[in-house]
Amino acid sequence: MSVLARPWSRLTPAGKVVLPLLGLLVFLTLALLVGFATGLIPGLIRFVGDLLGANIGIVRFVVAASAILLMSVPTAFVIIYMELKVIALMNLRLGPNRVGPWGSLHSIVHGLKVLGKEDFTPTGVDVPVFTLAPAVTFLAPVLGLLVLPFAPGLLGIDMNLALLYFFAVSGLSVLGLMMAGWSSFNKYSLLGGLRAAAQIISYEIPLTLAVVGVIMLAGTMSLNQIVMNQSGSILDWYMFKQPLGFVIFFIAATAEGNRTPFDLTEADSELVAGFATEYSGMRFGFFFFAEYVGVFILSALTTVLFLGGWNAPFDIDPVLNALGIRFDLALDLARLDVGLLFLLALGPVVGTLLIALPIWMLRSDWSFLKSLVIGFILLNVLLAAAVGVWLALSFEAVVGLGWFLVKTYFFVFLFVWMRATLPRVRIDQLMGFAWKWMLPASLVNLFVTALAIIVVSEVR
Amino acid sequence: MTDNALKRRLETRLAGQLLGPVRARHDTTEIRIGAANVTSVMSTLHDEPQLRFEILADLCGVDTGDAMQVVYHLWSETTPDWLRVIVDGLPREDPRVPSVTFLWKGGEWAEREAYDMFGIIFEGNRDLRRIYMPPDYASFPLRKDFYLADDAARSPGQGFRHMELTHQPPEALPENLLRRSKL
Amino acid sequence: MAQQTRVRSLDDPDVFVESPATIYDAVPPYPPRTEREAEFYHLRDGEMLINLGPQHPSTHGVLRVVLKIDGERVVDLDPVIGYLHRGVEKICENGTWHHAISNCDPLEYVASMFSEAMPVLACEKLLDLQVPRRAEYIRVLAWELNRIASHALFMGWLSLDLGGLTPILYGFIERDEIVEMLNALTGQRVLFNYLRIGGVNGDLNHDFMSRLGDWMSHAAEQVENQTKLINENEIFVGRTRGLGVVDRATALRMCATGPVLRATGIPYDIRRAHPYSVYNELEFDVPTREEGDSYARYLVHVDEIKQSIHIIDQVLHQMPDGTVMAKIPRWIRPRPGRAWVSIESPRGQYGAYVMSDGSDHPFRMRIRDPSFFNLSLVGHLMPGNLIADTMAIMASLDPVMGGIDK
Repeated sequence: MSVLARPWSRLTPAGKVVLPLLGLLVFLTLALLVGFATGLIPGLIRFVGDLLGANIGIVRFVVAASAILLMSVPTAFVIIYMELKVIALMNLRLGPNRVGPWGSLHSIVHGLKVLGKEDFTPTGVDVPVFTLAPAVTFLAPVLGLLVLPFAPGLLGIDMNLALLYFFAVSGLSVLGLMMAGWSSFNKYSLLGGLRAAAQIISYEIPLTLAVVGVIMLAGTMSLNQIVMNQSGSILDWYMFKQPLGFVIFFIAATAEGNRTPFDLTEADSELVAGFATEYSGMRFGFFFFAEYVGVFILSALTTVLFLGGWNAPFDIDPVLNALGIRFDLALDLARLDVGLLFLLALGPVVGTLLIALPIWMLRSDWSFLKSLVIGFILLNVLLAAAVGVWLALSFEAVVGLGWFLVKTYFFVFLFVWMRATLPRVRIDQLMGFAWKWMLPASLVNLFVTALAIIVVSEVR
Repeated sequence: MTDNALKRRLETRLAGQLLGPVRARHDTTEIRIGAANVTSVMSTLHDEPQLRFEILADLCGVDTGDAMQVVYHLWSETTPDWLRVIVDGLPREDPRVPSVTFLWKGGEWAEREAYDMFGIIFEGNRDLRRIYMPPDYASFPLRKDFYLADDAARSPGQGFRHMELTHQPPEALPENLLRRSKL
Repeated sequence: MAQQTRVRSLDDPDVFVESPATIYDAVPPYPPRTEREAEFYHLRDGEMLINLGPQHPSTHGVLRVVLKIDGERVVDLDPVIGYLHRGVEKICENGTWHHAISNCDPLEYVASMFSEAMPVLACEKLLDLQVPRRAEYIRVLAWELNRIASHALFMGWLSLDLGGLTPILYGFIERDEIVEMLNALTGQRVLFNYLRIGGVNGDLNHDFMSRLGDWMSHAAEQVENQTKLINENEIFVGRTRGLGVVDRATALRMCATGPVLRATGIPYDIRRAHPYSVYNELEFDVPTREEGDSYARYLVHVDEIKQSIHIIDQVLHQMPDGTVMAKIPRWIRPRPGRAWVSIESPRGQYGAYVMSDGSDHPFRMRIRDPSFFNLSLVGHLMPGNLIADTMAIMASLDPVMGGIDK
């Protein structure tokens, strides 16, 4: 062994990386050459292509599901960071400011910390249920993401009964919370789980009834179709046709997502952490993620149902035309010919220098290398912005996604704002509010909507 | 300042129940009574319209070295003075005093504290158990003959922690540490 | 699962017995000692015991309350204290009078200017010592500042225990300004150790005065800002109004003092009822409320902050010149005797009953802590309420465990 070990130990860390990579490169080159020479690789590609083409529905589903599963975690990270920072600002604090610029990587470190903690199973718990509960809780909002139309053509599944499906799977979260509360072998957890059951089931009813008005207006339960029905002017949004329904839906969604002032299931000043008391490490992290993904999907659903989804609140083209502004971005890069090569080779270098030099001259205490790095980062930011603008102007879906996210994050901000401002209600006040006020109000909304539809159709 | 009117009222009203003269110390009027008279004296002080000592400011035990005392401090809006009632001459071996919880329910915890610290038994207190020290604690720490080494020998490193209390008892308590077997 | 515990017998400390309780029960593994304990730990059908504390986030330290609950409703409760017991009274007996000041300091750690005053005032009374008037005024200034710091925190805690995140931080901002101010005066942020037998440790300095001036310029406004967030908040009012109602008779019977008593309408404030220091030269009201519920207690606290600001204003105008320390013997040995002193702390009546036997240490030093008596009210207030209300009630009584456990 020492024959290999001694030279290996003499390599620098960089060398230890480069040498295996070189070996790998040589191996892959040889393998590719052999593959192409024998005709094995083209055949394989053709076979896989045929296979995928024949099952395009499944492929689409798998891709969408993977994308959404991958998307859920960064979404949670963004919302966690947003919550920390916004509440901090409202509390006149600084909030996270250590990791990354303005602490923006804080929640990633948070996630890594959660991953690194001990996954502890206390004595006396019902192990299978205890283990499954976080996954079930996390599953519910992630499955809900699948039917959300983010932008024209950008959605997991265009389901006919998307709304029904959405409520069905988001009802799954109560199962997870109940499982966690019951299996933890802790009285606080049990109380939290039972509170979750009572609260979420009670608020499902006004939540669903508030939406029935929208369904009646739209005549469909497909979320995609509901959004399309709201295209046109801002007055077509159901927010203006269903103001009461909108308010009821938002309040019920707050309770459904266990957010302040209805966060009784994990009321930290009463039940320690409610259903999550006995959880640690990544299992606790799953509850955490589930809550924040839940906030996202509830905000997104509010946007989709009442705020017109991806539809822009105003049409920008007439304004631009009136002002005489026209974008002509028909870039024909091929026309540049050899110049393109020079642009690709020299563009980054020249761009970096152009940004770095003024910085270096202005900040005498920075080394040139530091200025270069900053310049390079700034250049990338500028380029990304340019690409973003180009994408937005060229593709409708990007604009739609932008509007969708703006509206959704407005509601996320609203949730965070409420968390920073309001105390928590009591369980009897919560239940009384659901059954005495929300349910009659949503029924009134339903009847008035039905009446209005009949009257309008009769008049016509 | 001394409220002489209060002094006269107390002397006339409580004549025969006082162990000594009514004394004034600073802004406090002080009377001493025996354990047998606690209930009647306190009821009088509390109920009599001219006295109306409605606020029990404090209740504590004292170990003077010879005898035990229970000291009450009362306040009334009829007088600018504090009233101190000292129940004197309780035997150190078995100090017993009637409880005042029938007048001041809030005195319950204070009586528990006096029991915990001095071993004074308040008869009529429904909940007379230790309040600060663990339930299996054997000493009365504020007594003047409290000796820390004795205490350590009697409670060898364990209060009442029923989550973890699984040790076997030591074979024999070191006799030389038990300076006094009973307090 | 049902692991039996071996516990020390109560009859004979050397005998270990098998306890009927499992390690998971809240039921204590020994036979009941009193009638009340037997009654409490007898569970009827559907009842459950739950341990609130001593490591619970909102028990204000290490209070443990065993709740007997039926669903979410509290049927009965048994507060267990003593987790922070240091035996301060015994420690004071073993040290000199000067030692007692710093030993009593951490009793009421939220407003320690009051607890450290106990041995000081008591010893001065035993010595018949006349404290310089400037020192008295400085004491009043420090007390009132500390009262505001404590009340500002109370408002935040109450809101935090109801689930509101923000007011506690506003409270801490106000408290921090005051604490920094007192830091400039005393050299300590929390346990000041500032009062001395015969006066105070050090005169007012420039740093303190400039901070105080800054703070006084916006103090009233700051209180307004803080109360604006919660005073009219529908959820806050809905959760505190009509909750934990104490009537006058009960409050007197339970020996409650301070804001708890004043919220029932009895204007019992030692500063007025039995004036000490220079409080009879100062103009202020004793705010009271009639309702006696958690919300009334909260409002009394708010009004008291305003009154304290008013007092500080007067103190600054009337501050006399002179020394801040009386001439006291280096070795303090009061004549044999006994003395009772009592002051109005943010939580109520702080008292001390001291006895001297003529030596240089107290023969007996009894500290009467207001939180101790106020906390015993929970047994009356909580049964019948929900678990969530226990927090609102407990926070509105404003217990500080350092003083309760002594």
